[in-house]
Amino acid sequence: MSWSNVKLILAREIRDQLRDRRTLFMIVVLPLLLYPLLGMSFFQISQFMQEQPTRVLVIGADHLVEEPPLVENNRFASDLFSKPEKAQLLQLEFASDVLAPGETLDDVLARARRQVEAGRYDAAIHFPPEFAERLERFRQASTAGVFAQGSAEGHPDSSDQQILPEIPRPEIIFTTANERSQITFARLHAVLRRWSEEVGKANLSAAGLPPAAARPFELETDDLADKKTGAGAVFWAKLLPVMLMLWALTGAFYPAVDLCAGEKERGTLETLLSSPAQRSEIVVGKLVTIMLFSMITAILNLASMGLTGWLVLTHLPTVGTPSWLLALWLLVALVPISALFSALCLALAALARSTKEGQYYLMPLMLICMPLAVLPMAPGVELNLGNSLIPVTNVVLLLRTLLEGNYLQALRFAAPVVGTTLVCCLLSIRWAVDQFNQESVLFRESERLDVGLWVRHLFRDRGPTPGVAMALFCGMVILILKFFVGLVIPFPEDFAALAKATLVLQLAVIAAPALLMSVMLTHSPRRTLLLDRASWRFVPTALPAAVALAVVIHPVAMALETAIMRLYPVAEGVAVLAKLLGGAPNFLMLLLVIAVVPAVCEELAFRGFILSGLRHTGKKWRAIVITAVFFGLAHSILQQSLIAVLLGILIGYIAVQSGSLLPCIAYHMVHNGLALATTRITPKLLDEWPLLDWMVGRTEEGYTYGWPLVIVGGVLSAMILTWFSRLPYQRTKEEQLQEAIKRGVEADDEPLASTIG
Amino acid sequence: MIQVDGLTKHYADLRRGRLVALDGISFHAVPGQIYGLLGPNGAGKTTTLRILSTVLRPTAGRATVNGYDVVTQSSQVRRQIGFMSANTAVYDRMTAWEMVEYFGRLHGLEREPLQTRMEALFDRLQMNDFRDLLGAKMSTGMKQKVSVARAIVHDPPVLIFDEATAGLDVLVARALLGTVAELREQGKCILYSTHIMREAEKLCDRVAIIHRGRLLAEGRLDELRQQHEQSDLEELFFQLILNHDATVGAKA
Repeated sequence: MSWSNVKLILAREIRDQLRDRRTLFMIVVLPLLLYPLLGMSFFQISQFMQEQPTRVLVIGADHLVEEPPLVENNRFASDLFSKPEKAQLLQLEFASDVLAPGETLDDVLARARRQVEAGRYDAAIHFPPEFAERLERFRQASTAGVFAQGSAEGHPDSSDQQILPEIPRPEIIFTTANERSQITFARLHAVLRRWSEEVGKANLSAAGLPPAAARPFELETDDLADKKTGAGAVFWAKLLPVMLMLWALTGAFYPAVDLCAGEKERGTLETLLSSPAQRSEIVVGKLVTIMLFSMITAILNLASMGLTGWLVLTHLPTVGTPSWLLALWLLVALVPISALFSALCLALAALARSTKEGQYYLMPLMLICMPLAVLPMAPGVELNLGNSLIPVTNVVLLLRTLLEGNYLQALRFAAPVVGTTLVCCLLSIRWAVDQFNQESVLFRESERLDVGLWVRHLFRDRGPTPGVAMALFCGMVILILKFFVGLVIPFPEDFAALAKATLVLQLAVIAAPALLMSVMLTHSPRRTLLLDRASWRFVPTALPAAVALAVVIHPVAMALETAIMRLYPVAEGVAVLAKLLGGAPNFLMLLLVIAVVPAVCEELAFRGFILSGLRHTGKKWRAIVITAVFFGLAHSILQQSLIAVLLGILIGYIAVQSGSLLPCIAYHMVHNGLALATTRITPKLLDEWPLLDWMVGRTEEGYTYGWPLVIVGGVLSAMILTWFSRLPYQRTKEEQLQEAIKRGVEADDEPLASTIG
Repeated sequence: MIQVDGLTKHYADLRRGRLVALDGISFHAVPGQIYGLLGPNGAGKTTTLRILSTVLRPTAGRATVNGYDVVTQSSQVRRQIGFMSANTAVYDRMTAWEMVEYFGRLHGLEREPLQTRMEALFDRLQMNDFRDLLGAKMSTGMKQKVSVARAIVHDPPVLIFDEATAGLDVLVARALLGTVAELREQGKCILYSTHIMREAEKLCDRVAIIHRGRLLAEGRLDELRQQHEQSDLEELFFQLILNHDATVGAKA
């Protein structure tokens, strides 16, 4: 890759985008105008909302006590409001509950309800008959010292009930279906609460007690977060990362569509492709442009939003202003986020035939990305190994953890977060480069969508081995089936149930789709599954070599497993599983269920169908790693998945080098078998076999290999792998092409062809 | 020079299964000569030229440009050629000068020599009037001139023109043909595809007639006329195509 070409392309694309009025508007003008306008209107609307007076129907105002007053001059008493002028916000109309002839109290109330529902009044309040009299009697009773007497007798309940009169309850009629009615209710409620306090105070003073008797102490609060990070830090720490994502994605999307689909549409892409610039240079040039615009969009939007928020929200003490530390961390997080989104958008935009088709891809992309950004906002979601492996989510969580000041926690998961994000970025970039290398994508012509034709095409034009898309499809089918079957099958309670669940999962979910697809979608299933005659060539040597490798590498694998488990401890699920395994009738049965069946089924699916299909990408390592990732995802416990990915890479390599599935099955079987055997080690066994005692190291978790054995195992494994690497493996047509291109690039200036003349 | 051996290209087609766009085409073109690719629409001309410009990969067969293989040494091949077709458009938001300069720099030309070369080129193609005009505002003729300048700015030994005069008025087309003829005088190896017989008669030293992905005839124009006892190129072209369709029809 020549950086001068990348720089040239980058400079051109930036200039091109800056000359595009739409882009400039979206990126610069919109944020600068949008937030101040939004802030202004929000401010005005909220003012408007609060200042609106509402109408209340008061029924039975005649039954109110004189002191303390609730109603003065046809309004609620102004000292019952936080500010006296707010009394005007509740406009009162009075209705008598003196009944007209033939009317009951219920009729009056029913009429009030209808009026509130119809919106004639925003709420109504009803003071029942005898309200004032009962209140007065209550006060008299209390001044007469009935409370003290009652409690002194030791029967407070019975005596109170006898002497204290029951007070009928005033009723507020309102509807939550109407916002104004809700606001009115809130206002009424506040007024009546204050008034009831006043009544209480009046009662106390009548009984000769100080008003403070009702509330003997006040509560002091001390929120440490307020002092350290400023009020409202949590609010901003939750809101701003999501806004950052949203704008980084939007800012990446529009330039990406213009730079790829737009160029295709305008016919300039072929001009560029026939220039000496390499595809990777074009992609990187475009990618950096998109990333730049994505970052600028996000920064401008956040800055504009922050400034507006600072100006508008400083008036609201509960929210406060975002801190500078937050801004700094947001900037740091913006780099990987924009890189990831830019690469994704670029690849998607390259797929699109026209800008119109490109725009269609925005919504699905948003639908996938936004939940990932919003998920961390759910209460109780914290950074752990599981979600540190989810792209986007992990960055937001890491950001939040940093903002909360949990640096140790952040440091512990920084590696998986950075690693996952980096891997996702690289994968997206590779995908984008691939899009630019695929002529079917570059010169896509619209074809009529016809499912029948497409199915016929699948059968008619099938090759000896499956294509890349079929392999990916098979992998996804297995994962989805596994998810749903896992939901249906209950957690096993004994070994028999475990055996049954394993068999169903292995045979129906993993092996069956791969076998079915091999038979239906390829015309050489045996070759697809690496079981044809050609595959036998290296079996006599590769099979024992694979078994030997599985044995000697086992100490290394165990050491790795222990390290992973120690770093990210597993919940008790594994212990339960170990107990279930202990319930096996005999070791042979256990071997069959845990080692033999999974080895055969999983190898058929992963190293058989999926790897064969993926090898048509032309890059054997890419095929091996993607297969291994599918293999890892098919394991339910996360820590197991991590180990399975590494194991999958190793078995994939054996599959490619030996060209046969049998060594893979053998390796897998021995690996699982040895793992089972280690669970069978007991102190008694060690006493009986001194040699075993030398091999085994004791840790808190159980038994593992001693370090010398791990090192010896590592060296021996390297030797066997070297032997595998020397096997003349069979290349697919695509792999041969890639190798030829590599040779051509290496030859560089020298023409390969000698036929000049 | 261009050497094409048994070039074959298949496309996957949903309806017809495998679509053979090129079926074992071979020819070779030398410097100082204009080699014409003649054929009706859909004959496989554009596919051939796209393979030569390394935008497409052949299914089988081999092609080399100045000795570089189009598949394995594609970036070297692209340095050797200037490619211009109806599909290689001009950037809307770039001026004529910027566009030519951009491609000159992509071809690895240094700033100074590029400036002098571009001045000469803009003079020769009479492009100084619109050197600062944005592509979006140019007329078709102007765009075509920019495309030519873009294709030859790095002085490539091999030039490929694919239906270059499509959509041009007579004046502009004539000027373009003049430029192509000039390039031949400079000793360039030129591949020129067209379906207009008059252009081929005027311009080409050798021609290959392609139809349905097959090479029907190949040679110098006078050789072809003698061989098929037909002095009119258009008649000759029709005869070849009709004969081919008849034999294919008879076999089927």
